[in-house]
Amino acid sequence: MTTELPVLATKAGASIRETALANGLRVLLVERHLDPVVAVMLWYRVGSRDEDERTAGVSHFLEHMMFKGSSAFGKGEVDRVTTLLGGSNNAFTTNDHTAYWFELASDRFEAALLIEADRMRALLLDPLEFAAEKAVVLEELAMGLDDPWRRLTELAQEAVFGRHPYRRPIIGHADALKRLTVEEMRAHYARHYRPENAILVVCGDFDSRSTLRIVESHLGAPWPAALLVDEPFRPVPTEPVGEKRFTMTWDDECHRVAMVWPSGAVGSKEDWVLDVVSTLLTGGRLSRLHRRLVLERGLATTVSTQNDARVDCGAFWLMAECAQGVAPERLEKAIDDELARLCDETIPAKELDRAKKIIASGEAYDSETVSDLAEELGEFAIDAHWRLSLESLDHIRAVTVAEVRDAARRVLATSRRVVAWSHPTEKQRKSPAKRAASSGKRR
Amino acid sequence: MSTTFTPPRTIPSLSVPFERHVLTSGAILLVSPRAGAPVCAIQAHIRGGPALDPKGREGVAWLTGALAEQGTKRRTEEQIAGLLEPAGGDISGDASGLAGSIVNDEWELLADLLCDSLTNATFPAEEVRRQKTRVLDRLLIERDDPRQQGGLRFRKLVYGDHWLGRAAYGSRASMARIRPEDLRAHRAANWVGRRAVISVCGDVDPARVKRVFERHLAKWRTGTLLATTPPVLPAIEPRVDAFRAERQQVHLYLGHLGVRRSDPDYAALVLMDHVLGTGPGFTNRISRKLRDELGLAYSVHASIHSSAGILPGTFTAYIGTSPQHAKTAIDGFRAEIRRIQTEAPGADELDLVKGYLLGSFPLGFERSSRRTGYLTAAELHGFPPDHLTRLLHEFAAVTPEDVRRVAADHLHPDKSCICASGPLSRAELAEIAGVSIEHAEKPSRARRAARRPNPTHVTQAARRPA
Repeated sequence: MTTELPVLATKAGASIRETALANGLRVLLVERHLDPVVAVMLWYRVGSRDEDERTAGVSHFLEHMMFKGSSAFGKGEVDRVTTLLGGSNNAFTTNDHTAYWFELASDRFEAALLIEADRMRALLLDPLEFAAEKAVVLEELAMGLDDPWRRLTELAQEAVFGRHPYRRPIIGHADALKRLTVEEMRAHYARHYRPENAILVVCGDFDSRSTLRIVESHLGAPWPAALLVDEPFRPVPTEPVGEKRFTMTWDDECHRVAMVWPSGAVGSKEDWVLDVVSTLLTGGRLSRLHRRLVLERGLATTVSTQNDARVDCGAFWLMAECAQGVAPERLEKAIDDELARLCDETIPAKELDRAKKIIASGEAYDSETVSDLAEELGEFAIDAHWRLSLESLDHIRAVTVAEVRDAARRVLATSRRVVAWSHPTEKQRKSPAKRAASSGKRR
Repeated sequence: MSTTFTPPRTIPSLSVPFERHVLTSGAILLVSPRAGAPVCAIQAHIRGGPALDPKGREGVAWLTGALAEQGTKRRTEEQIAGLLEPAGGDISGDASGLAGSIVNDEWELLADLLCDSLTNATFPAEEVRRQKTRVLDRLLIERDDPRQQGGLRFRKLVYGDHWLGRAAYGSRASMARIRPEDLRAHRAANWVGRRAVISVCGDVDPARVKRVFERHLAKWRTGTLLATTPPVLPAIEPRVDAFRAERQQVHLYLGHLGVRRSDPDYAALVLMDHVLGTGPGFTNRISRKLRDELGLAYSVHASIHSSAGILPGTFTAYIGTSPQHAKTAIDGFRAEIRRIQTEAPGADELDLVKGYLLGSFPLGFERSSRRTGYLTAAELHGFPPDHLTRLLHEFAAVTPEDVRRVAADHLHPDKSCICASGPLSRAELAEIAGVSIEHAEKPSRARRAARRPNPTHVTQAARRPA
């Protein structure tokens, strides 16, 4: 194993090597010597996708508990060691994966590997710490509930993903979290935190050969065979049979809309085309929706889209805030008109070229730091394959005018979307001061 | 490679190499070449900022920066966007000038467009009307946002009527009064060579950068240096305000006037902050106590050094928590502040902070924009070329007693202002904070805010706020 690994590809001045340890852990070694810094990211293929109603939120909660003590690193030790060495760490959970990262000077990153090895195998999950951290997670959830966009997108997400676990918020729901037991979390940990379910990315200023030896010594020990456990049932949403609409209220002056359509999985042909569609619609000041709705007609204060491709299936999001004095119906009609144009008219080649250039230029920003590069490669690796990160521009450049039109017609049809509106509360609408403040005329 | 978790004992030598030039226009040009950098960043700082706003038209300096790339004598807003965006470029502005970044190979395009905006911005009436309308709409929405209102009201409590006590963009009323000619007049009077500091970082040849900026800024008016007057700021004394809104959490701010960056205690205050409320992870006392032990919050922190500037910053302790925990949180802040004022931290605690500061500084300069930000700050504050290394030596020399002393000298837990936004009234806040209601400021009638929406919360949750 410690023989020289071949360089499989290069990206942003970095040489990429890949191997798998005997216990199944995949390792990406990404060497770049621009700064004396190394990022260590460990990715687990577990997220809210792997939960059911009973355990909703456990993946994210477990991410918190990974800092609350393991066999060799007691409570607070992960932060203490990182701080003592002048480094930084954090972690995040998505629908499909959970990732832990460290950034340290290149002469001391081994500490991160020791920590990851220990907490992959021997997390304490002390019941007292579990109870204390549950209170923190519930506060985090409460913070999210104070955000109208979070409430609105969760409403729409629940509808668009049908019975798939993607319908639930990553952080879970308060009732499920309150009754979650440490035993349930222990089972979740034992099942998913295993070398064959993880990918290690080491990126930055190091020597691949000697680093691989260190990785093997800390993370290469054999593991007992995995328990056979049924996968959660994840029915991919069936084709919608009509538009679904929801409304909620919020005590401010804003009409907000979130539209969402079911779409394809990460790395699919549709994924690349929808990246282009998203850029055509809202990428920059010359994009169609921004130009028409915000700048020319003054119907919206902001508009954005997001191609949210996930492992099993995806969603295409459109979010906008109504300008004051504009009826929500007018904004929705204007959005519909623009989407219809995308479906019915041929996009000028120059416009398509501009969108592709904007996406291509994003590559520089995605690799500016070693942590950026580790995240870019690691996310593709855990959800699909890291080579997609290198091939993505070829896929984007290959997108044709016809493919954009076809994807728009297929995906963005009115009949298959969820529309969620947030309107000001009755009290808000009746406030004389507020009516006066928002009574400006609009074109 | 170390396996004992002991940081090297030596103090690293650290610098951001750069060339300094004074251009014909009087502008100072700082260029930091960085081989292999994928992104080039340029920052054009104009001295003055909101202090120069005309009375009643607060927000002029901010809007001048925000709209400077919305059209020039040479190019329309559409033409600028058409050139910039396909190259991965972006220019944004505020009361302190303009900043931009671009894919490195296109840096000359960014230099051209940024200089064009600096010297030739025309502020077309239609663009100004359009953008002003958007800002006014935004401010109306944020008038009801507790997080925004809490932060703004806390600043008002600390700074009173000084411009530091308001948002850079003013109020809805002052913003509504701003006309295109105000912006043109502000740019003409204040955006001049002798008030500008331009920083460039990327994979660039400094000699060529100098030639390019000389060419683009050859006709820029030299102007005069900025005249400044010492600020008159309210005394440190307890004041209370609250923004009532029905939410799950209450945002609590506790603090007072802070220090200038030039304060001789700055290095010791940085260490004190890390022990008290900004140390990474949960290594600082406030996070450890209020979040880790008591489970009161997801987001909690305290700092005095991070806002220190040419003018005094603030000491701010913040927590977002459930309303039933508000009293525990306020008591917790005060207890930890008093503890650090009376008990010097242990040697282990200080070693931890020193290990972090000496080890992390070299990691902080990976992004080109971070380097331009540092170069600009170094010029404005008059840092010597070996400033970073000197600072690391100052950190290393701080003793536990220094930390206790600066905490005692610069923190005032019993004279702190307290602001809450969320499901708490001003009277309720005054009661749980143990502050006489007579000390409570009347709520400001002006309601201001400025955060742009970030409606993409659907795909990630994290252990700590990013």
